[in-house]
Amino acid sequence: MTGFLKFLSTIRWQDLVDIIINSYILFRVYVLFHGTNAFRVLVGITSLWILQEVAASIGLILTSWAVRGITTAAAVIIIVVFRNEIRSALQVRNVKTFIWGFPTREQPTPVDIVVQTVYQMAKKRIGALLVFPAKEDLGELIHGGIPWHGTVSPEMLLSIFWPNNPVHDGAIIIRGNHIVEVGVLLPLSQRQDLPSYYGTRHRAALGLAERSDALVIAVSEERGRVTAANGNSLTTFSEPDDLSQLIRQHLNITDGMPADAQKRERLRLSVAAVLSLLVMTGIWFGFTRSQDTITALNAPIEYVNRPLVFEILDTSTDEARVQLYGSSALIKSLRPGQVLVRVDLSKAVEGRNVFPITQDNIILPPGVFLNKVQPSTIDVYLDVPITKELPVQVDWVGKPPENLNLAKVNVAPETIKVIGGSQILQHVSTIYTAPVRLDSLDKSGSVTTTLVLTPPSLKLISNSNEKVTVNYVLEEKANSDRR
Amino acid sequence: MVFTPLSGEEFMYGRQKKFLLLTSAALAIIIPIALSPVYAQVNGQANPQPAEIADPSQRPKLSQATMCERVDNLAPLRPGMVFSVSNGQVCCYTSFDPVPQATLVYHRWFHRDELSTQTRLRVYPPRWATYSVIQLRDTDKGPWRVEITDQNGRVLNVLRFSIAD
Repeated sequence: MTGFLKFLSTIRWQDLVDIIINSYILFRVYVLFHGTNAFRVLVGITSLWILQEVAASIGLILTSWAVRGITTAAAVIIIVVFRNEIRSALQVRNVKTFIWGFPTREQPTPVDIVVQTVYQMAKKRIGALLVFPAKEDLGELIHGGIPWHGTVSPEMLLSIFWPNNPVHDGAIIIRGNHIVEVGVLLPLSQRQDLPSYYGTRHRAALGLAERSDALVIAVSEERGRVTAANGNSLTTFSEPDDLSQLIRQHLNITDGMPADAQKRERLRLSVAAVLSLLVMTGIWFGFTRSQDTITALNAPIEYVNRPLVFEILDTSTDEARVQLYGSSALIKSLRPGQVLVRVDLSKAVEGRNVFPITQDNIILPPGVFLNKVQPSTIDVYLDVPITKELPVQVDWVGKPPENLNLAKVNVAPETIKVIGGSQILQHVSTIYTAPVRLDSLDKSGSVTTTLVLTPPSLKLISNSNEKVTVNYVLEEKANSDRR
Repeated sequence: MVFTPLSGEEFMYGRQKKFLLLTSAALAIIIPIALSPVYAQVNGQANPQPAEIADPSQRPKLSQATMCERVDNLAPLRPGMVFSVSNGQVCCYTSFDPVPQATLVYHRWFHRDELSTQTRLRVYPPRWATYSVIQLRDTDKGPWRVEITDQNGRVLNVLRFSIAD
């Protein structure tokens, strides 16, 4: 009991939030994708991944490699093959529906109304084509549809297929109790064995049925017959009850109590939510609580809260060697920059400061813990920035002209003001120019050159020109001076 | 750079020859004493700080300071701002007028802000000229400066020059 309580005390509130957020994400994936083929394939890929992990853990080298390859390929395939399903699952009306909403159960298709109207149209020799989609997406198979979103009623169906209606030649798509599209063009069947009395309407019905899991009802305007295309078969129904049964079977409509259906739906979602929570809790503990891996890496040292009056002159080290432990998944996923040693300089003084490196100084990602760190202290030397005026001297290089003597040199400006640490500037007496070559000089003149600030931590005061002008005077060497 | 023992040599103006003869015996003792601290500095040992000359009028006045290739017959030869390393040497020539009392001056040679060597020179009333010299090597190329200071470290002048190819 005490062990369990001790274990509970190690769980932070962030851990609970972490588990709840990820459980909810998993639950939403289930809610949005449930019933689609993509979801089934996703479950398959997850099973493969688990198989791969198991194979790897028990040392099945070839199996784990093969399953890994299949899993990787399957992940790509699911995106390419089921892109339409994924798109339709994610295409919700607003963010609230995406994050929070549940798929509302569609009102069941009024099968009796549809069947009665279909036979009414057959009697009146009004041609019609009705599509009842199942789970497969039809987006790639049908064309030219006009959004309609009308409630199914005999009048609505009759008016759509009334011969003078501009959209009467196309098919309609019925989802639930709504006609979602009208004037839809269906792919034609290429079969050669169809009886000659089947026209284009029947070929279109069969064409879509062959390519999808949709049920298509065709009403012949010449013979007044009602035919259903399902899979590869075309069946003529003379009895409305038979057609009604087929449609109910296709749409999975049973005569159960609606309250029971709602109860079942609630139960299903509750079970899914609990399973999501359990799965994610298991994954979380697997990821974070196993502390089986130790690694060591170099962490950069970051200095914060430096008093503005000081500059960092030098440090004993730029990085610390930290030894970390945690679950292998977290340790493997460590990236540079996630581990950081942070030293607070707010209480530092001028000169040498020694800071101990402890657990408190080291920033680690959640679930990764410190084993040890080297060095255990850092020396930081702070300096006060000052401004110093220094003379500028030309750095002449190359071979001096043989018969000429550089008699006078004048630099403009003669001095330059630089900003730097007081201890650094204590040892700097001159600012030198970039090397100026002597080889090309043949008469007095001037050259413009830049300044070289050494050490590089020195800076020119603002508005200072980085360039200086060197005026020089060359004189002929006296004969006695030539060697 | 090679330090030359001759760099501590002291010269006097021509009309002081009589004085030179009279004091030659004394110099025979003074010169080794004067040179020894120079070697001590080269070896990195600190010089004892001489007493401050409180009265400014008693301090020597630098009348000429120049960098030159050679000093010949008590005069600087081929003065300039840039010297070729092939010359083999470079001199810092200084003359003081007046020199109210015998005192010390220093020639402090810096190669890129780093003290390379320091020469202690003794000057005598009423006027005195003296110089220091360094032998050049290939590694001595670059900008140099020589600080001429009195015995209390007061900078009397700074000469800037370069050693080139």
